[in-house]
Amino acid sequence: MTKHEIYACLYAKEFPAQALLRLRPELRSKPCVVMEGEPPLEEICSLTRKARSLGMSRGMTRVEVDTFSEVIVLQRSLKDEATARAVLLECAGCYSPRVENWDYERSFLCAIDIAGTTGLFGPPATLARNLLTRVGTLGLTACVAVSSNFHAAVAVAKGPLPISVRIIPTGEESKALAALPLTVLDLTEEQAQTFALWGINTLGMLAALPEKELISRIGQAGKRLRQMARGEMPHLFQPVEPVFTLVERMELDSPVELLDALMFVVNVMLEQIILRATARVLALASVSVTLALEGGTTYTRTVQPALPTNDRQVWLKLLHLDLESHPPQAAILAVELDAESGSTSQIQLGLFSPQLPESSRLDVTLARIRAIVGDENVGRAVLTDTHQLDGFRIEPFSISSADPSALSSAPMRPAMRRLRPAETVFVTLQSERPKAFTFRERRYSVESAYGPWLTGGEWWTATLWGSEQWDLAVRTHDGVMLCVCLIRDLLRNQWQIVGLYD
Amino acid sequence: MTALTHKANIRRTYLVPTAATIRLQIEAKLARKIPSALTPVPRVIRPVVPTGVSEVDVLLAGGLPVGAITEMAGVESTGRTGIALSFLRHLVHAGRACAWVDVSDTLCPESAAEAGVDLARLLWVRCGVSKSQAKPSTEYKFSLPDRFFIPASIKKGLHGGGCGGHPRNEVKGLPDAVSGLLRPEAIAPRCAEPQHKIRAEREVFMPQPQAIATRSNLRMNPTKPWARIEQALRVTDLLLQAGGFSAIVLDMASIAPEYASRVPLSTWFRYRTAAERTQAVFLLLTQHSCAKSSSELLLRFQPGEARDNETTLFTGIEHRLQVERRRFAQEPTNVIPLRKPPHSVNAARWRSQSTWAGER
Repeated sequence: MTKHEIYACLYAKEFPAQALLRLRPELRSKPCVVMEGEPPLEEICSLTRKARSLGMSRGMTRVEVDTFSEVIVLQRSLKDEATARAVLLECAGCYSPRVENWDYERSFLCAIDIAGTTGLFGPPATLARNLLTRVGTLGLTACVAVSSNFHAAVAVAKGPLPISVRIIPTGEESKALAALPLTVLDLTEEQAQTFALWGINTLGMLAALPEKELISRIGQAGKRLRQMARGEMPHLFQPVEPVFTLVERMELDSPVELLDALMFVVNVMLEQIILRATARVLALASVSVTLALEGGTTYTRTVQPALPTNDRQVWLKLLHLDLESHPPQAAILAVELDAESGSTSQIQLGLFSPQLPESSRLDVTLARIRAIVGDENVGRAVLTDTHQLDGFRIEPFSISSADPSALSSAPMRPAMRRLRPAETVFVTLQSERPKAFTFRERRYSVESAYGPWLTGGEWWTATLWGSEQWDLAVRTHDGVMLCVCLIRDLLRNQWQIVGLYD
Repeated sequence: MTALTHKANIRRTYLVPTAATIRLQIEAKLARKIPSALTPVPRVIRPVVPTGVSEVDVLLAGGLPVGAITEMAGVESTGRTGIALSFLRHLVHAGRACAWVDVSDTLCPESAAEAGVDLARLLWVRCGVSKSQAKPSTEYKFSLPDRFFIPASIKKGLHGGGCGGHPRNEVKGLPDAVSGLLRPEAIAPRCAEPQHKIRAEREVFMPQPQAIATRSNLRMNPTKPWARIEQALRVTDLLLQAGGFSAIVLDMASIAPEYASRVPLSTWFRYRTAAERTQAVFLLLTQHSCAKSSSELLLRFQPGEARDNETTLFTGIEHRLQVERRRFAQEPTNVIPLRKPPHSVNAARWRSQSTWAGER
């Protein structure tokens, strides 16, 4: 043990219940129990303080639970617990790169090596308070113990004292540990029985036992336990590297069919994700929603606005509109949000730059429009390299930051108005040139015909095409003039009006 | 003589009033009939954006008004789309964003690009396009008739002419096939035989996964004209509310007047107010005027003539337009002239030239 060692131990008890209530803030003030096991043999594995005050305890069966009214019963979810563990580890990782995780079945414990962080986060007491505040914003409650001995910090954190922050001064470990019960030491059943027979109940009593006699009775484990009780046990720190992922997962209590109800859940999850991203000065660039559906299938949708944003209302609206236009085909059992982070860069507009749509507002507007007209009918047109009609594709619209090109003087062009789908007409020909046709129940005679212009392509695939184009100036008998683009499909030998010049 | 002239000059200086005094005197006299008769009217400068066609810009005293509805009415091939694209070209080259709400899905992006519009700055909303319509199946199925293929030669002495599999495979699965042929009554025990109790399988009811009903599932047929118009009106509302678009074109140029005139007047009034608030140019392309008093400028496009200066190429169209109504026409003076004033020019002619016609 070096002189500069100092550890902060973060301990969250009743973790199965806390992990479930983290994303259910409305249940935190109610008595809740978490059941574990197969349905007829379910037992309480974790419970809230309110439930305990009602007289409930760990190990009660379903029948016993049913005798209490107003108790909310939840099923244990290991996946939710894993997510909550990852969130806590990542939170601990914000204070030091060296974090050791200890896996307990029903509680969360991690130790943070905070040596040398005084300059950044202040003295250990301040750090511990900040850490607890941050854990509180994540929807969890925990306690922190700070000590220069690793095992002393762990034992004090696990202790029954209702103090959220405990700082043990260096050299006073044995004094701080003396009053704690032996249960904080993870004794085996045999050891616990032996100590109970000897009448040893606290760590102070264990520390006072002579070392050699203790070893001669219960072996080397006795020496280890005695050292831990005195706060002298050395520890080899094994840090884990918490992976920073913005993932939230929640299993729903009952299958949900209404999207509006789902949005309440997504709102809480988004709040948590945004909170974690903001702590790292990041913004959400894209969010994927994975829904576990009835029947074992999953359904994923991804929403990606033009600019990364942390505006929860914008995200909620975008996700709602996306799911509304692409609804899942069955009831939803679980929701998982997976976010990609991006930089929180803001676009600085110039004082004299032209008025442009606001980015986040435009995203919501475009999502609303997509819900009305369909995904593939909104955006900017990008021309493709082909001579075929309608040689374009639609790409998502975004505000272009590139400088506009200079305006060159050009004569006005006749614009074509495309008819989609093209309208088939019966054409009267004279010496292989169109002479007259009927279009929209009116008879047109051709005044001038320009063509034919032959086009074709993709003869090497099944999508081959070929056509003969005519530009016609036509007139009805009452003098209405039209300029049309007439095409003869060479493969089908069909005359079609594809557009009108306007 | 010289002294007399000097005196007269002095008297004139004192007695002859200045022009301002005379003007005030005249205005005071005429105040009952013509208020402020000789004071020039304060000139209100309304912002305009040029259309890019010099003849039209001269006629409209600069271009189309900003923050108001401009209606372009006319039948097909009268040049409404050409003017609209030319106008957008000016805006997008100034770095602005524009939107084209296409009610009948008639915008041709190639044509817009030819007109000089930067497509990256133009939001295109196609209304009433169903999924099957969006991607027409152009796949051409080609297959040769059998007579063009070489027939497989039949080998003598081999089972099935050598084309089938090995004979031992023919009996594969035969027992299953035979038992499949036998109906249950054929293998059911007769009345004298001891009968085994056949336990009926318990029927299990599985919940059928049902699709979640949302508003989008309950859409009406989007290809009908009124459904298209309704979509377009909702989209336009959203775009106007979002703000930031310098021009919004609502293209109802291919919608028959009986449908277009069904749009309630309150809609146009709402659009006018929104356009004024967001300082956007709202262009409405129709066949017949439908925005009525909400539009600030109504341009009537007259049928044009195809240019026939080439025998082999379609070179363009000669267009005509007329200003039918202008809401805030600026009067040069507030004096009512005694004579009938000359008619101001309210019509313009211009020519469009196709891309392939080259320089003329």
